[in-house]
Amino acid sequence: MSDRSEAFTLVITGAPYSSQAPQTALGFARAAVEAGHRIDRIFLYGDGVHLASALCSPPSDETHWPKIWAQFLQENRIPGIACIASALRRGLVNDAEQKRYELPAANLLAPFEIAGLGEWVEGRMRSTRTLYFHAGG
Amino acid sequence: MSTLIMIDQPAYGAWSGREALDMAFSLAAFDQAASLLFTGAGVTWLKRAQDPGEISQKSVEKNLSAAPIFGIEAILADRSACEKYGLDENALISGVKLVDANEALLGNYDHATFAG
Repeated sequence: MSDRSEAFTLVITGAPYSSQAPQTALGFARAAVEAGHRIDRIFLYGDGVHLASALCSPPSDETHWPKIWAQFLQENRIPGIACIASALRRGLVNDAEQKRYELPAANLLAPFEIAGLGEWVEGRMRSTRTLYFHAGG
Repeated sequence: MSTLIMIDQPAYGAWSGREALDMAFSLAAFDQAASLLFTGAGVTWLKRAQDPGEISQKSVEKNLSAAPIFGIEAILADRSACEKYGLDENALISGVKLVDANEALLGNYDHATFAG
């Protein structure tokens, strides 16, 4: 790595299929990794948590953004974290939260995890830059 | 590392403002310097004596009043947006500082961000 390499935390707040945010973030993340930079973590916030849903079922001729993001995270060993408060409000839960709230299903797609905003705070501290991908409009 | 969290959405039409507030509180909880800036329609957050019971929402005034307790350094409001929305200092909750939301203001912070 050169001295100019960066460490990024990427925050995605726009949902797939209603915004361009997850796709734009993935394009950036791929380019950053290829250029030798490090992605410290991906933090999903607000509507961005929908990217971690295992239940998204787009038509087969459309890109499955949760799956290709999950694959990218696994291949590059990058943590992907969905904010717990945003996730619970929007019906995105892991096994532990399913049990805690006695819900009929869990739908968090691996390797995404659910955690608090402290993960965002820590990511900012460990990264040279933190970038936000919003829905816009 | 000081952070300015900006809110430009009205309090009861979008959730992003509430989530922005959570971001600011979270920074403060981890002893990171954080301030809030309300701009555009976001200044309506700061109106005194809100009563959103009829739309089944909780008043954001209560959330905001917790800001100093959480350690938020300042609650800032863009002066021109306040004028546009007819909010003079008497119409605002206490503890709000009127500022000009411009490049010079943002330059005082290491990070400036919206929640969505």
